[in-house]
Amino acid sequence: MSSAALPSPASSGVGLRRALVRNSGALIAAVVLAILLFIVDWVSAGPLTYFDVSFLSSGGATSALAAIGQTIVILSGGFDLSAGAAISLVNVVLASSMDPMAPGASVILWTAAGIGVGMAVGAFNGFFIAVLRMQPIVVTLSTMFILQGVTLLVMDKPGGFVSPDLGTFYLGDAIANWLPMPLVVIGVVLLAWFWLKGTRFGTALYAVGSDADSAAAVGINVVLVRFAVYVIAGGCYGLAGVFISAQTGSGDPLVGNPLLLSMFAAVVVGGTRLGGGQGGPVGTVFGAYVLMIVVNILLVLNVSAYYSTIAEGTILVLAALAGSISHASVLAVQLRAARARVAAWRAGILPSQLERVDRRLKIARPSHDQRSEISPRPAFRLRNAETLRYALPAYVCLIIIVVVTQIWLGRTILNPGYWNSLLVLSTFLAVLALGQGTVILTGGLNLSVPWTIGISGIILAGMVNGSDAALVYALPTVLLIACAIGFANGFGIVYLGISPIVMTLATNGILQGCALLYSQGTPAGFSSPMLRWFMTARLGLVTPVVLLMVVFVIAAVLLLGRTPFGRRVYGIGNGLRAARMSGIGVERTLILVYMLSAVCAAIVGIMLTGFSGQASLGMGDDYLLPSIAVVVVGGALITGGRGHYLGMLGGVLLLTALQMLLAGTTLPYATRAILYGLVVLGAVMALRERRLQ
Amino acid sequence: MGIGLKVRPLALLAGMAACAFGLSAAQAAEKHKIFLSMSYIGNDWQAEAANMVKAMAAHKSLADKVDLQVQVAGPNAQRQIQQINAMVQSGAEAIVVYPISPTALNQVVKNACDKGVKVFAYDAEITEPCAYNVHIDQLEAGRVTAEWLAKKLNGKGNIIAITGVPGTSVDDQRTKAAKEVFAKYPDIKIVGEAVGMWSQAVARTELSKILATRNWDDINGLWMQVGCFTANSMQLEAGKKTSELLPCAGEGSNGGRIQMLPEGTEVEGAASPYAPLGAQRISYASPPYSGALALKLAVEAIEGKDVPKTTILPLPVVTSETIKLCDEGTWAEMKAGCNAFKPSLVSNPGWFASIFSDQTPEIGLAAALVGQPEE
Repeated sequence: MSSAALPSPASSGVGLRRALVRNSGALIAAVVLAILLFIVDWVSAGPLTYFDVSFLSSGGATSALAAIGQTIVILSGGFDLSAGAAISLVNVVLASSMDPMAPGASVILWTAAGIGVGMAVGAFNGFFIAVLRMQPIVVTLSTMFILQGVTLLVMDKPGGFVSPDLGTFYLGDAIANWLPMPLVVIGVVLLAWFWLKGTRFGTALYAVGSDADSAAAVGINVVLVRFAVYVIAGGCYGLAGVFISAQTGSGDPLVGNPLLLSMFAAVVVGGTRLGGGQGGPVGTVFGAYVLMIVVNILLVLNVSAYYSTIAEGTILVLAALAGSISHASVLAVQLRAARARVAAWRAGILPSQLERVDRRLKIARPSHDQRSEISPRPAFRLRNAETLRYALPAYVCLIIIVVVTQIWLGRTILNPGYWNSLLVLSTFLAVLALGQGTVILTGGLNLSVPWTIGISGIILAGMVNGSDAALVYALPTVLLIACAIGFANGFGIVYLGISPIVMTLATNGILQGCALLYSQGTPAGFSSPMLRWFMTARLGLVTPVVLLMVVFVIAAVLLLGRTPFGRRVYGIGNGLRAARMSGIGVERTLILVYMLSAVCAAIVGIMLTGFSGQASLGMGDDYLLPSIAVVVVGGALITGGRGHYLGMLGGVLLLTALQMLLAGTTLPYATRAILYGLVVLGAVMALRERRLQ
Repeated sequence: MGIGLKVRPLALLAGMAACAFGLSAAQAAEKHKIFLSMSYIGNDWQAEAANMVKAMAAHKSLADKVDLQVQVAGPNAQRQIQQINAMVQSGAEAIVVYPISPTALNQVVKNACDKGVKVFAYDAEITEPCAYNVHIDQLEAGRVTAEWLAKKLNGKGNIIAITGVPGTSVDDQRTKAAKEVFAKYPDIKIVGEAVGMWSQAVARTELSKILATRNWDDINGLWMQVGCFTANSMQLEAGKKTSELLPCAGEGSNGGRIQMLPEGTEVEGAASPYAPLGAQRISYASPPYSGALALKLAVEAIEGKDVPKTTILPLPVVTSETIKLCDEGTWAEMKAGCNAFKPSLVSNPGWFASIFSDQTPEIGLAAALVGQPEE
């Protein structure tokens, strides 16, 4: 826009190029979409007709609309896990309040109602995130649970009625045989976005996403911007909910939940950077359609069901790779760096080839002894004030939950069985917390946890097949496979420059396919007696695995707090460039981090196999979101660099104790979900960020 | 089609492709193009059902009639809508579908019906009137199992209930029907209730949570949609004798069926807890053959036979009195009344054993395990 003000023709060329570079993400997503459309056209029997385009456009509209909202949140530096649940809520609210007897329904009225519900959800999120300065991921996770509960209270099973008038409007043609309505709806939302982007609010939004402190320093009302962002995003989810209601003509309390993960993939494939400040909803719309059209490609190519998740994962990686074809991409930079290293090696000037001489400047170094005399070591409380501030709340809440359990259910504090169960059930998440926590400390996220757990358990059970002797080779094999999985994740992220969310999401799909192929759909084998004994027997008062957990916790604390590896992890999380400049081998460290994460997931897979006595497909499905939640509840910062393993452990114990309390009651599931969300929200209230200066 | 070929670039490749399409089109002319749209295949039941559908399509009675293509929609109803649309577009004569949602597919299914495509839903239901449904009566499942348990307990005692996936019609109907039965017995109290997600692993975690503040001795019976096998293992670990195992109304997994055999029965490949324990059980399931039967009915419907819109499958119920071990697991053998399989043949105890139907002599154990039809 600034270039348009300059009249000279030369600068308008520069402006065009800048606009291209700035929107490269969206452009590449558009090109990928065009290529995929071409493939569909080419391999399918007939040419693409208007009808094809029309139903393709309606197929991707819900996720495109919701992903636009998610994009705006991500641009502001946030994260919204409640999007899928908000869509479900809007769907059941519409389906349960429309009257099947009424002759017609007002499209405008019901659309407004849906958007209103979405905005109310957004305002709830926004209040806690903007006004109370809490971390978006944990607020929206709590909101997700609360909404799921509320949704089930509104409608506990699929049903209800949505007027066909809505369907006729939203799925019809804007201009007959030329322009389908879903594209118009998306277009209107995008136009509204362009208008918004041009206003002061739009500038403020990008500024807050790039650097909230600087934004506040130049006088932007960060609280207001953040609040508005969640409300606007909520409106988008609301519209998505209206759309899916129109499309399905009824209500289903579970309809929106599976949209969540693909929404993030759409955002990232569309060129928006997680963490904020870069990208925009246009790319996201293309991203959403790229992901959707994969369904059609799999259909026309007749890909076998077992291979479909593998194909999807591969397409996701390829789409992300296509997005990084440029001179400045990570892959290109890495290739250039490798060339430079080879050249240096030929010339014999690589640092490792040089003679090892101490080349440091001879400046008098202060002796450590003298120094400690001048300034004595501060007290433990002072030295660790920051860690304590973030780690303690989880433990305080844990104590409260245990006391409540004692009062409500009895037989708790003095019952060794309770504590043993708490620790055994916590082990899974405690181990995962190290893997997920370390990745989060570096600013990443590992979404391949579920099927790393699944495939590890399935391979182990298959190899062991009830024999203790087989453990000797089965355990190392499974751990080695996990190392390979982690290496693949790390390699893709570090050397191919694929964002962690996309890379690990793709790996998860590929692993799911591999697990299905390996097991042919029915996982064989069962755990050996020793493994079962380890997970379920009692040595006096405790189960053997509890002893392992104690060792594991000590090792984890030492690994993150007392080793060079741990310091490098924190260094990378606090600033990638600073870490690189200070000589940290960023690539090697990150790959190790993802390997650690995969190994932790594999250990959980092994332990779960021992605990259940067998492995099953999907055994890791319930561990993804909790593994992220405990890390954040334990005081870690989702953007990396801050957090302590003991804090995460507190988060694990807190959430497990809370689940045990709720399981002991006979409250309906909906109420439990709401309570769970509220308690998590309350527990992290103490983790509020300090007020911006 | 002609216009499409003209504008298509890469003339040579296009020509080859056209040849290939021409061939397959000629073959397909004799075969019925049928699609299977599955849900999430990451669990035992779905994988087993898929194997049985494939075996049915490969059976000699159907192999030269049916061109079956299998697609997976994942857990996402939105994707299934789009998938069904794409199937209609590519010329399906029938679509066999495991509906992710009973209501969300209504419009797309109606659209398919309008184009003359037969839509068959298996296991779960599609409420759109033009769809064919093949499933068991879930209310009956909840009622029969609850009545069995109430009788076993002589109408008195504390029970734990483990339900399925909240928000689904199947879970809602089973649980509601069971609770209505229990409500008739004022002395039966549900002291713990948890969401089991139809998974043995989840059932175990949830039971462990409930038992952290309770004792096995305070509990008299279990009603679970999935999890009796696990509950029995947990009781043994807690030091109970096999004769003290609580009565459990629950799923039809093969592990549970083997546990129902009288203790001491010689069974090849058995190892505790996947071994005969003489457990008091009623075992029921949504049978995984429903997809295969739906395919068979779909072919009949295409061929113009009269197929009822709703096929209610008989509820496969096995109790400790009717349990019988199979030798090989052929259809003929199951017809004679056997209903549990040796661990040496079925190594996964979570595998669903209710695979027998009078109406599907094409498929037996090999079909469910590896997708091989009977001779």
